[in-house]
Amino acid sequence: MRRFTHSWVCVLAVVVGLLAALPLQAAEDRSPDAALARLLQEARAAAPGACTLPDIDGLIRILCSGRIRIGVRNRYPLFGTLGGETRQGYEVDVARAIGRQIGVDVEFVTVNAASRIPMVADGRVDLTIATMGHNTQRDDAVRFIRPHYYQSETTLVAPRDLAVADWQDIPGQTVCVTVGNGSNAELVSHGARLILFDEAVMLPDRLKDQTCTLAAQDDSFFASYLIEPRFADRFTQKFGFAQVPWGMAVAREGSERLARALDLTSQIFHRDGVFLDIARANRVNTGFLEKQNAVWQQPECNTDTGSANPACILPALDTTLQPTSFADHVTAFESGLEAWTGIDLSLPMLKTASAWSLFQNGVVNSLVLIAGALAATLLVGLAFGVALGSRFRLVRWPVRGITIALQSSPIVLTLVIAAAVTRPMFAYSSAVALAAAIAALGLSNGSNAGQAIAEAIVTIRAERGALRMGGVELFSRALGRSATQIVAFLINAAKGTPIASFIGAPELLSALTDIASFSSGRVTIYSLLLVFYTTVVMLVVWICGKFRSFLERSHALG
Amino acid sequence: MNPLFERLSSDFLPRFLGGVVVNFEIAGIAITLGLACGLLLAVARLYGGAVGAAAAAVIALMRAAPTFVVMFFLLNAIPRNATLFGVPLAPSGVMAVAVSLLPYAAAYIADAGVEALRQLRRGSPLGSLLFLPNVTRAFFVLVMSSSAGAAIGVPEGIAIILRQAEQLPSLGDKLALFAVGIVFFGIPLQVGFAVMSLVQRRLSRAVMRNRENALPAALQ
Repeated sequence: MRRFTHSWVCVLAVVVGLLAALPLQAAEDRSPDAALARLLQEARAAAPGACTLPDIDGLIRILCSGRIRIGVRNRYPLFGTLGGETRQGYEVDVARAIGRQIGVDVEFVTVNAASRIPMVADGRVDLTIATMGHNTQRDDAVRFIRPHYYQSETTLVAPRDLAVADWQDIPGQTVCVTVGNGSNAELVSHGARLILFDEAVMLPDRLKDQTCTLAAQDDSFFASYLIEPRFADRFTQKFGFAQVPWGMAVAREGSERLARALDLTSQIFHRDGVFLDIARANRVNTGFLEKQNAVWQQPECNTDTGSANPACILPALDTTLQPTSFADHVTAFESGLEAWTGIDLSLPMLKTASAWSLFQNGVVNSLVLIAGALAATLLVGLAFGVALGSRFRLVRWPVRGITIALQSSPIVLTLVIAAAVTRPMFAYSSAVALAAAIAALGLSNGSNAGQAIAEAIVTIRAERGALRMGGVELFSRALGRSATQIVAFLINAAKGTPIASFIGAPELLSALTDIASFSSGRVTIYSLLLVFYTTVVMLVVWICGKFRSFLERSHALG
Repeated sequence: MNPLFERLSSDFLPRFLGGVVVNFEIAGIAITLGLACGLLLAVARLYGGAVGAAAAAVIALMRAAPTFVVMFFLLNAIPRNATLFGVPLAPSGVMAVAVSLLPYAAAYIADAGVEALRQLRRGSPLGSLLFLPNVTRAFFVLVMSSSAGAAIGVPEGIAIILRQAEQLPSLGDKLALFAVGIVFFGIPLQVGFAVMSLVQRRLSRAVMRNRENALPAALQ
């Protein structure tokens, strides 16, 4: 009986033990650590025999060779730098931590912004960790590791005492940017006036010499400058926008297990604060990593399927621009022209909906601006002519003072004054900027035209001496006599319209600069712009020639 | 002290004056290049035939080319690393502004040069000297136009004023500062124009006197 009871107790204990152990075993199986261990174990088991086989997975190849080739930057402060033989930075230390986690040596290979994708896609490196933003377009070229190891945003840096806090302060501001930066379109949509630079390294110097009021670039780029006391004393981050997650990447083909191992490693590094510690050691901004640390400690994310869970991972930045309905025809035309003539023509303003819309508005606004400037010049010229030619000093002298002031003010300054006076009265809009530009161009050129009319009035009076002449007749004769100068200032007004872009008027120069800031084809864009304005001004010259003939005929008849 | 001047940064005046020097430097380069191109065009224009027609077409094109667009074209259409016989082609900011003023300067000097050469052919060297005040007048126009450089970050006088204005809190202060800029630019411009008008009048009188003296001698 006692033996029987003892046997049942043993059986019960085993059953209870097994039942208790089953859920525990299942929980351990679903952890990323266990999944990674299993994956590495399987790969190591396969390695000896598979090492010589063609088309083996990247993970097995790495384990076979005992080293992983990782592409990193060598001139990106805080993230990847090379001084002599020593590599430093957040991404360099992340690469080393990955090597330790997989149990292989790390062989660093220098990559740059242009080579980081081709090198990993061609298999010249196994993995790239090189300040690469994860966007939907790059998804076609490489396989990004999830979760992301960092997140940057575009930050606006400006002098500390400049009152810029958010988007409301941006309309009309001059912002220096690099060509092709994905966030330029957002700055444009908020009314910023962009100055384009080829390389980001030029921006801090242009801020220091006050060429740029504000500069927009990845916060990771400005991070190293903002920890320099001399730079940080003068400049600060105003606000950030356009967050983009950074991803490590492997080749799309033949890297399935390697990508899976790195997904799990990235999860573990976030959960255990490995990324966070490396970031702190390298003085890199930790805001994103702190949030990710909390996310990957959550039970629903801390599983072997967490890296595929949309609730845990971040989406790639969607940078796809909506094409126009005729984009394919434009591309075919570009290709055909290049094949036929060898000319590399690029027409980005016709290919995407946003660029096409900017281009159309730019053309219409330019024509409105030219017509407005011509009308304003003529009206101001006539009014100033009457006032300056008046016999009454009280009328003549104030207008003479205004004329001298307008003649002494460079057109850029006159435009800025017009914009500054207009802004407190009306909320910023394209129409207000255009109206201010028309007023400035009209006053600047009209005052000169008015002076020419007044001088003609004076000479006619002197010639006629005592002969009486009606006011209308005198004025008509003066118009005829000063026709050449009036026409010269009308042409000058038309030629001056592109400068309206300086105060944010959305004419064609402004529109094409915006398009050039987020697309390729700068040479074509600015060549077309030059052709457009030169053609329009020549047309204005022709029309003004007809107008001058009309004035001179009227004068001769009179 | 005037409240405006208290709010200006201590190095504003030297920086502004340095900026005005940049304006004169740009205008100097533009007028030098303009003289070289404009006189060549003037000679070609008077040559007549196909050469004269071609020169007239080039002058018309140069007259129609907007300075501001030419400046952006030069900055953006020429690759930063482009070279010709080892010489870098991409212009600096100052050179971009100066070269963008070249079409205006060359067209203006070509017109004035044509008139001066005609005077010379007519045997009136003094009449042809009127070319000089015209060139000087163009120079002062170029000094004013060089403020376009503010749009591409060239540290000329107006750019310095605009940067300083951004630091001022009130519209009144900004307008007062702009007025200072107008005075600083206006004085040399108005004085320059007045001197040139005086020189032009004296030359014209001298030309007239020469003609009057030449007429009796021719009749003898």
